[in-house]
Amino acid sequence: MTEHMTAEDVVELCRKLGADDAVAQLFVGNTTQVKFANSAIAITQNWSEASLNVFVACRKRIASVMLEDLDHLVVRSSIERLLKIAKSSQPNKDWAGLARGPFNYTKPKDTFDKNLVDTDKATDWVNAAIAATSAPKAAGVLYLRDTGHVLATSEGVHAEDRGTSAELSIRAFFEKDESGHAVSASCTKAGFDPEAAGRKAGELAKAARKPQPGQAGKFDIIFDPLAFADLLSVVASSASAYNVDAGYSFLAGKLGKPVANPSVTLLDDPTAAGGLGSIPFDDEGRPTQRTSIIENGSLRTYLHNTSTAKKFNSTTTASAGLIAPQPRNVILQPGSASKDALFKQVKDGIYVSNIWYTRFQNYRTGDFSTIPRDGLFIIRNGELWRSVKGLRITDNLQRILENIAVLSSKPETMLWWGMEYQVPVTTPYVLVKGVNITKPTM
Amino acid sequence: MLDLANKVLKLAATADWAEVRIEKAEGNSVILKNGNPDAAGFDRSLGIAIRVLVKGGMGIAFTNRLDQASLQAAAEKALKTAKAASRGLRKPVVLAPQKAQTADYSADCKVRPADIDSSEKLALLMDIDNALLSTKVKLPARMLQIDDSTREQWLVNSEGTSIHSTIPRLCFTYLLTAERDGDTEQRMRELGATGGWELVKQWKLEQQLTEEAKLLARILTAPRAVDGVTDIIIGPEITGIAAHESVGHPQEADRILGREAAQAGEAYLNADDMGLKIGSPVVNVVDDPTVRGSYGWYRYDDEGVQAQRRPLITAGKVVGFLQDRRSASHWGIHSNGSCRASAWDREPIVRMSTTQVVPGDQSIEELLEGVKRGIWIKTYMEWNIDDKRFNQRYVGLEAWNVVNGEPTTLVRRPALELTTPAFWSAVDAVGNDLGWATGHCGKGDPMQGVPVWFGGPSMRLRNIRLGLRPEAKA
Repeated sequence: MTEHMTAEDVVELCRKLGADDAVAQLFVGNTTQVKFANSAIAITQNWSEASLNVFVACRKRIASVMLEDLDHLVVRSSIERLLKIAKSSQPNKDWAGLARGPFNYTKPKDTFDKNLVDTDKATDWVNAAIAATSAPKAAGVLYLRDTGHVLATSEGVHAEDRGTSAELSIRAFFEKDESGHAVSASCTKAGFDPEAAGRKAGELAKAARKPQPGQAGKFDIIFDPLAFADLLSVVASSASAYNVDAGYSFLAGKLGKPVANPSVTLLDDPTAAGGLGSIPFDDEGRPTQRTSIIENGSLRTYLHNTSTAKKFNSTTTASAGLIAPQPRNVILQPGSASKDALFKQVKDGIYVSNIWYTRFQNYRTGDFSTIPRDGLFIIRNGELWRSVKGLRITDNLQRILENIAVLSSKPETMLWWGMEYQVPVTTPYVLVKGVNITKPTM
Repeated sequence: MLDLANKVLKLAATADWAEVRIEKAEGNSVILKNGNPDAAGFDRSLGIAIRVLVKGGMGIAFTNRLDQASLQAAAEKALKTAKAASRGLRKPVVLAPQKAQTADYSADCKVRPADIDSSEKLALLMDIDNALLSTKVKLPARMLQIDDSTREQWLVNSEGTSIHSTIPRLCFTYLLTAERDGDTEQRMRELGATGGWELVKQWKLEQQLTEEAKLLARILTAPRAVDGVTDIIIGPEITGIAAHESVGHPQEADRILGREAAQAGEAYLNADDMGLKIGSPVVNVVDDPTVRGSYGWYRYDDEGVQAQRRPLITAGKVVGFLQDRRSASHWGIHSNGSCRASAWDREPIVRMSTTQVVPGDQSIEELLEGVKRGIWIKTYMEWNIDDKRFNQRYVGLEAWNVVNGEPTTLVRRPALELTTPAFWSAVDAVGNDLGWATGHCGKGDPMQGVPVWFGGPSMRLRNIRLGLRPEAKA
């Protein structure tokens, strides 16, 4: 890993210096980004990076270090310091150790594609996406990632993974306030369709012609997958047992209780084939698993590592984060309605194609607001009737989940800059009844 | 490191222009959650950014592999991608002219935060937590965190600029949850500054947080605000966030030019909107990285341009934009030193530093005296704004009914939901009680959270219609 030490060497050094538990994670990656604005490339950025995360526990005193300086002497002195910090800390009463390995792993299918490694296609893909918008102006970003990950622990774990991804986010513009946004993201070249994203962004922008100020009130809303993915990233993050404990979750105290419409099953599934967040192991090295966070509308479990599972008298969901369990690949199970059928169910409502800036009055109650951006449309009798602007969704996150009425049948995977939590989310179109909409009073 | 920076600069000598930035950073963090110590943590990084211009195309390569072969590869990658970007360019990238600068500076710092043992930092947090428990307020969730960072940077470019800087920063963050009969209120806040550990004592954290906890308990017993038209007084915390969100951001030149259009968005202002009236004549807003001790303090920006106070709104009119060298060339002017990168592996782009409404001469008592019936909103929890920075919302946390110039009773969650011109045009008086708030401003792709202050004095807004509120849900 570093010029002189493997992940196992680091763990061994931690043990020699007095650690009861130790984890070493090495990340090595190459990333290319093409950022474009005004339909032209603004900059191309390239990252060649390596980093090392080390975590130790000494008599339940826990400490961690993140190193982006892998000089041998720096690594060694940092580990010595890490142990010194851990020993001088106070016990964490919730620390319950690491998963005991070794484990066998199954790499999720379709999470690495050599066609995305060292490709010189980035500019071509960007230009194809821009052209597909048929719009006078487009902006966005393309990322091509190739990331390797090695993990070793003091409980006999050795795990390795390598993944690739292509992620395009594109926003098309016609005149003032007329925009549309779309995403194509995949671990494989075959699943990546930059032109489709460009086309959708362009079509939304074109349909958003001459938006007029909208009205406040309660409306049935169809959320585009891009918009609903943002809300689901918050829901999934709220399921982390750490966030429940810390006051950052509206799901606190609701295990086993209904928190959503019975049609809702929300998964975190890092084993899913082709999942942008799929990975064979969590940060303790435990093989990942498919977890139902919400099943048929009821809160089934929080996301756990070994320690939070013990604290909550539960079982781990293989979601470590050594400090905070985390979702990795969020999936809202689709329904059976076609997209067209879903729209036809709305006599008088709103289609929200994108949102951003989701903020809470109170994380515990779930009271929040978020702002639609890009194409925002009044739906009349199942058709896009006219384009509107200047509205805000001001509601409660649990009530949104409870009022889900229809899920479309074809989910799409979303990951882009504007998502509140940077976790990939796969979701269909979603119809939510009676959503509270506000607008500026002056 | 300066030698290394100059050596790498030579590797990019075939570029029309080149810049090398080496950053060595260290950070330390201690978290106490509900009285239980989470992992004490630290980080170390050393990396290099090579930014070049070739025939109007711009490329950057970042690496933290500092062997000769990796540096050579990074320089070649930057040159290659810049060349590729130059092909078919509609408009070449041009940098505004800038005189070469040479400097070696550091922020005021008596006690290096990194030298304070993590056990001492944990003890500080435990003392605060014990003080919170002693209030007897029911606080089921208490998150306390103290972070420090020290960023040392060497910046050189092919025009002869050579700058070495060292900037230590401190930040204390908390989230308190108070509960009463199943109902909750929360307060989240950051306190940050540039400087040494000596600043922590000045923050009087135990006193501030215990007062906050007691206040949350009182807010839980307060009635909800009702909708209607009323006069509003906002405290420095809300003045500051409004200045940051609805003046600073839309006056970032790169947004106006569309460079962040698919991420943080554009701006409701256009490139030729200089002189446009957006507020009342008492409104003056500046952005100023030279405010001593401010969290966004620097002396030279990350392109080597000298920091300066930048007027944004004067007497209610737009008078300036935040510029880096790339954006400034569009207007044929010089950069005003607004270019920042949050880390070694991030592109320097236009950013705010310390954005403030310039104080007036009225005391808070004088502002209140002018209100027969109104609401005094001192702090907030929820806020957001659209991506053109035109439609903004702030929901009050500590808010008081005002009757005949006197604050009387607490009122819960009044919501200001206003357009930017409506907000700033409603200001009829500006106080003299300058106050600051701390934040990490998010922008750029990949996301860059840069340390900022925002602030100002209390302000009075006339005839404001409060926003509709959603039904509460326990």
